[in-house]
Amino acid sequence: MFDDLSLVFNYTLFRATLRASTPILYATLTCILTQQADILNVGVEGIMLCGAFTAVAVSYFSGSWLLALLAAVAVGTVIAAVMALAHLRYKADIFVVGMAVNMLALALTRFLLQKVLGTSGSFYDRAIVPLPRIHLALLDGNEVLRSLFNDYSLFEPLGILLVFFLSWLLYRTVWGLRLRSVGLNPLAAETAGIPVFRRKFEVMLYSGVVGGMAGAYLSLGYSRLFAENMTNGRGFMGVAAMFFGGGDPIRSWIGCLIFGFTDSIGSRLQSLGLPPQFILMIPYVATISILALAMGRKMAAQRRARSALK
Amino acid sequence: MNKSSTLSTLVTVVVSLLFGAVVVALLGHSPAEAYRELFRGAFWGRFNFGGTLERFVPLLLTALAFAVSSKVAVFNVGVEGELYLGAIAAAWVGAALTGVAAPIHIGLCLMAAMAVGGAWAAIPGALKAYWRVNEVCVTILANYVAIYITSYLVGYPLSAGTGVPQTAALAATARLARILPPSRANSGLFIALAALLVTWWIVHRSTWGYKMRAVGENAGYAEHVGIRSRVTMVWGMVFSGALGGMAGAIEVMGLYGYFLDGFSPGIAFDGMLAALIARNDIRLVPLLAFFLAALKAGSLGMERFTGIPKSLVDAIIAMFILLAAMEGLFLFRRGARGKEA
Repeated sequence: MFDDLSLVFNYTLFRATLRASTPILYATLTCILTQQADILNVGVEGIMLCGAFTAVAVSYFSGSWLLALLAAVAVGTVIAAVMALAHLRYKADIFVVGMAVNMLALALTRFLLQKVLGTSGSFYDRAIVPLPRIHLALLDGNEVLRSLFNDYSLFEPLGILLVFFLSWLLYRTVWGLRLRSVGLNPLAAETAGIPVFRRKFEVMLYSGVVGGMAGAYLSLGYSRLFAENMTNGRGFMGVAAMFFGGGDPIRSWIGCLIFGFTDSIGSRLQSLGLPPQFILMIPYVATISILALAMGRKMAAQRRARSALK
Repeated sequence: MNKSSTLSTLVTVVVSLLFGAVVVALLGHSPAEAYRELFRGAFWGRFNFGGTLERFVPLLLTALAFAVSSKVAVFNVGVEGELYLGAIAAAWVGAALTGVAAPIHIGLCLMAAMAVGGAWAAIPGALKAYWRVNEVCVTILANYVAIYITSYLVGYPLSAGTGVPQTAALAATARLARILPPSRANSGLFIALAALLVTWWIVHRSTWGYKMRAVGENAGYAEHVGIRSRVTMVWGMVFSGALGGMAGAIEVMGLYGYFLDGFSPGIAFDGMLAALIARNDIRLVPLLAFFLAALKAGSLGMERFTGIPKSLVDAIIAMFILLAAMEGLFLFRRGARGKEA
């Protein structure tokens, strides 16, 4: 029993957790940006999938990870722009738009995989150039240190920096303040002279940029291939982590780490023949509980405030 | 849905089909042939038409589930989870119970599935009604929990012990009869159509339905005239969840004969989209569910006979949904936008 536990819980779990949480982290950051402007972006999954495909295709044909990354970001931005246009200009329900984009992305990448790369299922080739890894030669001597800190894909530390950058942007800058006011009370924001439509559009585009990066990381950093539906719900996990953190980048990052942690433990339990499902459930149940408790407290506070006035 | 928005939906269909034709032509195929094969693949012969019907049933029920919850102003994205839980409940009752007459056995399976689906949907319903917790968040998350629960059940306590994670086969008395062999279309179709009629009657002709609609349109007014809006909202969600559970039960009892881990590729999300395009109008839900089912079934035939990938049709469906959602896009008359779902 204890042998089994030490197979599950050991220092390599740190690395596994970070690795598993990074795709979700990028998805979360994609949602957080729009959520702060009161747009629930459920299309992350689709944006990521298209980004992942573009990254692999461009990397394969051009042999440059930088071009691949730029292309993925461009595609992500274009999709986000279409979503923004549909939602803001043509008053489509953002939820429907997001779900349609997810469906479109799944079908389109499957179609293009067949037509452009000539296979179905998944595409792997030695010619695919992955995102660079950060290698520190001085850590090579120690097995534990190497596992903990070395050879991270460029986007793994970058994601963490992005969390703090976004947190600063949202809570410490004028831009962030205005964006949040657009989300909290668009009428008041409009009255205060903030162009609500433009702000929402702008932030959708940024979210497309991050979503494209998420896709590129998934296919060129996390793995080195493209597979049909390779996002496999990670976009939705990102949405869940965003709810977990209530739209705050740092708290949502913690949510992502919990997702990554339970995911890593789950896959280890499964390899030992133990049921992983209850562990895998934890982040979802935790998020629902947090949402419910937070709202319950808020309602109770409102009731108290009302009775005090009367 | 009024005349103008029906017209704009029609225009959207035509535009999407035209777009598809252009892509097919660019790929070097004949669009006319592609659409002929698509049509044949959906309607020609018992197997193809059965394929359409077999897809129509879960789409109809999940779309109804979504439309019903929207009547009490709850956005139930959790139908997928209710479908899974209903499916495993039906699979358990169908396999564990033996020696019961077929109609009773089928009825028990359906009731178990509806009870489980309804109970599951009551949780986000109650959280929304009493604590105003955003139901979209809760139901998206609850889907994963539900799917993990069924995955555990089918992997361990209810496993048939085979290599594939599936439950033991249902007793013959719990199976729904195939109506168009060799297709998998089954008598679940009639159950679904009956559910459609009953749902329409309840929502639009019964007192309970009136209460539901009153709460959905204006909870404050409903409360003022003495309708207990919170209780009504929770029961509306139970209703919706029961329909989702029924969809899962019919998949198990009619199509598979056992519960297979992860059997649904997001059926309920397609159903939800059908309901959304129909603007949650219960009379239009079957039309759109049938349209989507025919496209999905027909695309298989098209792929087989013309070599045009099925994924192209899926992309066109997604395009159609995207265009149909943009209410302002093909608006011919001002003020045609109806009430928000």
